[in-house]
Parts: sequence; structure tokens; C-alpha cells
Amino acid sequence: MDMLNNLLEGFRIALSLKNIYLCFIGCLWGTMVGVLPGIGPLAGIALLIPATFGMDATGAIIMLSGIYYGAMYGGSTTSILMNIPGESASVVTCIDGYQMTRKGRGGAALFIAAWGSWIGGTLGIIGLMFLAPFLANFAVKFGPPEMFAVLLIAFILLGSLGKGSFFKTVPMIFLGLLVGTIGMDPLTGAMRFTHGIKDLYDGIGFIPVAMGAFGIGEILTSTEESLVRAVHKVKLRELLPSREELRASWGPIIRGTGIGFFIGLLPGSAHVLSSFASYTVEKRLAKRPEEFGTGRIEGVAGPETANNAASQSAMIPFLGLGIPTGPATAVMMIALLIHGVRPGPLFISEQPQVFWSLVASMYIGNVILIILNLPLVGIFINLLRVPFRILFPLILLICLIGTYAVNSSTVELVILLTCGVMGYLFRKLEFDVAPFILAIIIGPTLENAFRWSLMRSAGSFAIFVHSPITAVLITLSGLLLIWNVYRTLRPKRDWERALEEE
Amino acid sequence: MHKRIMSIGFLIVLTLIVTGGSFAADYPTKPITLINPMPPGGALDIQARAFASVADKILGQPVIVVNKAGATGMLGGTAGSQAAPDGYTLTVGSVNIPNALEWEIVNGRKPPFTRSDFIPIGTFTMSPTLLVVPADTAYKNLADFIADAKARPGQMAFSSGGLYGMSHLPAEIFARAAGLKFRHVPSGGGGPALTAVVGKHVDFNVNYPANTLPLVRGNKLKALAVIGAKRLKAAPNVPTTKELGIDAEYYGWVGLMAPLKTPKPVVDKLKDTLKKVVENKAFIDMVETPGDEVHYLNGDELAKYMEVESVKIAKLYAEMVKEGAK
Repeated sequence: MDMLNNLLEGFRIALSLKNIYLCFIGCLWGTMVGVLPGIGPLAGIALLIPATFGMDATGAIIMLSGIYYGAMYGGSTTSILMNIPGESASVVTCIDGYQMTRKGRGGAALFIAAWGSWIGGTLGIIGLMFLAPFLANFAVKFGPPEMFAVLLIAFILLGSLGKGSFFKTVPMIFLGLLVGTIGMDPLTGAMRFTHGIKDLYDGIGFIPVAMGAFGIGEILTSTEESLVRAVHKVKLRELLPSREELRASWGPIIRGTGIGFFIGLLPGSAHVLSSFASYTVEKRLAKRPEEFGTGRIEGVAGPETANNAASQSAMIPFLGLGIPTGPATAVMMIALLIHGVRPGPLFISEQPQVFWSLVASMYIGNVILIILNLPLVGIFINLLRVPFRILFPLILLICLIGTYAVNSSTVELVILLTCGVMGYLFRKLEFDVAPFILAIIIGPTLENAFRWSLMRSAGSFAIFVHSPITAVLITLSGLLLIWNVYRTLRPKRDWERALEEE
Repeated sequence: MHKRIMSIGFLIVLTLIVTGGSFAADYPTKPITLINPMPPGGALDIQARAFASVADKILGQPVIVVNKAGATGMLGGTAGSQAAPDGYTLTVGSVNIPNALEWEIVNGRKPPFTRSDFIPIGTFTMSPTLLVVPADTAYKNLADFIADAKARPGQMAFSSGGLYGMSHLPAEIFARAAGLKFRHVPSGGGGPALTAVVGKHVDFNVNYPANTLPLVRGNKLKALAVIGAKRLKAAPNVPTTKELGIDAEYYGWVGLMAPLKTPKPVVDKLKDTLKKVVENKAFIDMVETPGDEVHYLNGDELAKYMEVESVKIAKLYAEMVKEGAK
């Protein structure tokens, strides 16, 4: 059992005091970076590269990857407690997570999020360990036509993400697509909708929009209700999930791991897709799907597990082939290069000690993270005891600082506040905000995949049914679309009507 | 943003007047930022960070690399050209910047900045590109490849990291020198471009040695030629286009640039630092391990090189525009 020997050797190296310390620093920094809205794992990793200059390659990569998957743990905290997504993969967690907090189940949500993250991460590492070389080759077969097909299905599924009907969600998706086109067109260099404003050249970032529409929109809506909220003592029972919640989470966690692991492999930053795909799957499988959006634990357990599994599998193309699939793995690759290690197809066979100690450290890191995060649940929940009238300006301040910290751009602050007002209006008009934001994130990728494919085929649409993967996916998306339209238009079943009248 | 630059500029002028030449002795007194206009993970990133790791000891202040990617370097270039000319915000320049600008000019558009908004400090490397194809294709050498391309003109496609970037222009130059027609399908960056050729979604790609050699060693790609005049130290078995009788060569330089009005003492100190860095063994190792080669040009030589190249590139672009390429 060569692999077992290698793994044991890896553990031996990873369990040295120095490497455990580095792993801990990475995880801690990653959690903080994930919790703080505005700074994402990419910035966290890039910031710490200079600190790795004196270390050996193994220690450096252990620390940097700790930041990467650690951020997936932390990102859910602000999503659940304050409806502010810590980073893009946590947007979906806001939907049900925050509603759980409003019902007083915030502690349980945080707990299950950490728990699911641990399982997703650990199972993801096992998958990485066994399947890295094989999966890397598979990932490469996924070209732009395949990506387009996957994203097309994702978009149609987005339509059923919202609480409302399909036809109410679709305008939000299109609005998101439109906003996503702002900026420079990567294929021709033409400026779209920028009106000469330099800060818009790169498009409207997800951070000001998400923090505005979710965070500030929520503040505005809640302020309408009441500025006074009864502050109650937090009982231990509220910190821990109930038995039913634990039982209900198992399914989503297992499914989330599978979904997240698969999606993380795909090239391009399809990361956010993992949490959102898990959410839609859980919603479809639930006995009472209309309750999603009011605080169902499945809507937290699934997505959080998925994004952790995805962050593990996202490292497979990078480790197995040396091709980074997103900015964060790209920066990690640079860190390795600076330390004289050459990632590439021969990385695993030529540098087994680096690879296997990295794998071992990921197990260790996930354990460190769950130990870090669980007690923190109690601390974070106590934050909510702060009176509304102090908490809300504080959240506003965090949003402003978080947005400004990314690009030092006043234009983005304006976007933040505008989206805040828009988020408030959307809520009043009972439109869903999540599909809007997800469309902004995924829209540009969808567009680029589509145009690249057509450029490759010189305009022929046949490229989309050329390979078996694309043909199947495109047919599936067509069927899904028809089914969604049908479901919205058909006369309501009795129980659905009864629920609406409630 | 503009107000900020103006007030900083005013302060600098005031300080300069008061301290005069002693400015250089005090520089740097705070961390220096390097703007990398390309997405993270490319050759520019490696070299910039390698530079940072050696330069901070020489300068005595941390040197931080910040990615400001977008539009094949235009976004970062714009930011760099408008940064405060105090020597604390430098730009990692590469051949992408003048190329992108020339394209705008040839198309009759006014670029957001020009070469003359920068003072070139010097180069780290000057690399040719490698022409790579998927490993399991039947081509044994470049001649086979050319024969296939001649047999089906316009049907073979190549990926690139972006319009007029380092993975696009050498391919165009090669195609014209060999009399071939290819279809160009740009991706958003070197990574996706390489994935496209490894996954056989396109027929070939031209790219920096640092990006392609690991995949060649790992048997995912085959390198058919170096588009240049000299063989690479890291790939001595790969022939050059010049050897094979094709008059195509193109080099991508990566180096450092400072905003135009940076005071001379600061510029001199930076030029000095750069020269020390490219002679530093640790830096050379970091750059050459992935497969690039260190090649130093000082600021004036770089300026002259850019002049000469821009004329050649403008001619190439004029042809491309005439042919209707976008």
C-alpha cells in the first residue's frame, strides 16, 4: 500500500511542531479573512506570501492552503449572523442562515455550518488523495463548451432559487446579467456601460453589490420594523442544534460533499456554483420546498459543506497538472515556484514529500478549524445581544470599510449604497435578491464560455452538441426550462394554494 | 481619487523643495507597491514576487505585489500611469502594455495612457515563446505541423491568454512567416489558454517557457519550436524557428516602470536596485527554475527597444486590421 506509506510519511512531516504552528496560523488567518467581508482568500494568501520567504516549500504551502480552506469556514459567520456574505461562496448561506438567526436558531446554524464544513473538507481531501491524477485529466476535458452547458443549467436552476414564482425570479436574473456586462469586454477590449468611469473598467465587483443588497438592504428593512428589539439571554440550548436539526442535516451534508467536490474540479471560478447547486438540490428534494428561505437547516448544511468540498477539489487541477483554475490556486502556485518547487504533472511523483505533507496538513487543518470555530459560535452569538441601534450602524461601518478596503474606490462605495437602497426596494416588492447577485457573479463566465465556443467553431452552434457531456447537459437544460415554465403556468395544486393563503 | 493624487503631489512638491536632493537618501521610507497588470499566476507574477523577495532587503522596506488585472494589462497600466510619482507605486511592465496601446492607436482610438507616461527602469527577462501542441498528436516536428496546417488552412485554431498578448502575437508572426492561416480563440488568461490546448479544445498555443515546460516534462504537451533565434537553456532539444528557416522571432520582456514624473534620484536608486537584483543568485534561481531566463536591459536600452518594437508591431497590426482580424 504505497499510498498509505506516503500518507504516513506525510503525517510525520506535517505533525512537526513547526508545521502544525504554520497550519494553525494559516487556518486562523483564513477564518479571519473569511469572516471579514471584503477581504477574500485571494487577498489573504497574497498578503502572506512575503511572510513565507524564509520558510521551506512544505511549510509555506501548508500555511497558504490553510488560509484557502479556512476562509470557507469563516465566510459563513457573517452570512448567518448579519446577512452579509463574507465571500462569494457564502452568498447562498445568507438566504436561510440569516432567517434562522432571526428565529433564534443562529447558534445552531453556525454549529451545523462548521460541522458540515468539516465533513465536506475531510471527505474532499480523501477524494483528492485517491483521485488527484485521474481527476486532473478529467478536469481538463472540460472546455468552454462544457462550461457553458453547465452554467446554462445553473442559470435555469437559479430561476427556482427564489421564494417566488419562476417568472418573478427571471427578471432579477436578467438584471444581474445586465449588471454583469458592465466593464471591459475581455474578448474584444471594448468598454461597456462604463461611461468613462475608470473604476468601472473591471466591472462591478460582487462585494459592493452583495454587501449592499443583502447587508444594507436588510438593515433598512429591519429598521422599518422596529429599532427596539428585546435582548434576551442566550441559553446554551440555542447554541446547539436540536436533534431534528442534526438529523435533517445528514442528507444535505452527504449530497453537498458530492456536489461540491465535483463542481470544484471545474476550471474557472465555479466555486460559488457549488454552494448554490447544493441549495437548489436540497430545495428540490425537500418535502416542503416552500419553507426554504424562512430558515431551514438544510439550506445551510448543504451549501456550506459543498463550498468546503469544492475548495479541496479545486486544488486537484493545480496539484495534479500545475494549471491553476482560479486566482487563489494561481497565487499558491506562485508561492511554490518561488520556493523552487515546480508544480506540474510530475509534481506528485517528483516531490512526494511536499504533496503528501500538504495532504496530511489539510486533514490536520480541518480539525484545527472545527476546534477553532465551534467555541467561537458562542462568542459570535453574543454579538447579537448588542442592541439594534448600535449593531446596525456597526454593520453599516463594516460594509463601508470592507468595500473600500478592496480597491480604495469611492465609486464602489456609491455602488454599495445604491445597491443597499435597491435591496430594500426589492424586498418591499417581494423580489428575490439572491438570483440577482448570483447572476452578476456567474454571468460573465457564462458569456465568455459561450463566445469562446462560437469563436472556436467559427459560428457554428454544433460545437455545443459535439461532445457527449455538452449534448447531455444542453438537453437537460432544455427539459428543465420547459418543466419550470410548465410548473408555473399550470393550475395550482390544492395544498400549494392552501399554503399561499396562509 | 484625483483629489488624493493632487494633495499628495502638492505635499511631494513641497517636500522636494524643502529637502531637495536629500530626497534620494531618504527613499524609501515606507513600503513600495508593485502593480501587476496581469492576473495572478502568470510569468509576471513569479518575476515580480521574486523581485520583491530580494529587493526588500536591498531597499530596506517591504515590497508588495498587488494584482490589478483586466483588459490585457490596460487596467493595471492605467492605474500605474496615474499613480503618485513618488517611487512608492511602480508598475510591472511587460510587452503587453505597449502592444495593447498600439492596438488602440492603430484602430483610431485614444488609449487611456501611453508609453510616454512611464519611465522604464529596466527588465528582468526577455523570453521567447514556445509553440506547444497536445502530447498525443502525430506531429514529430514543426515540419509535420506546418504540412498539416497547409493542408487545412483556416481550420486549425490556437488559444491565447488575451488579445495582443504574449500568447497571441508570436503566433500571428509565426503564421505570417510560414504562410499559414489559423483561427484565434482568445481566453481570459494563460491558465485557461493552456487548459484549452491540454484538453485538446484547440490545436496549439504559444506561451512563455515557465508556463509550458512543466507540462512538456509531464507529457501533457509537446514543444515543437522556440519562436526566436536562440535555443532555451531549459529545453536544449527544441529547435528554433530561425534554425528551421522560418523568419519569426518575438520576445516578451518583463520589467519595471515608474510614473513619468518620478524624481530622478528615486529613479536612479530604483535602477540601481534592479541591477543588483538581476545579479542576485536567489533571484536568478527563482526565475530560471520554472524555465525563463534572466536578461537585463537598463532603462535607456529598454526605452530604445520599445521604440523599435512599436514600429514593427504597428505594421503587424495594420496588416491584421486589413485582414479583418479583431
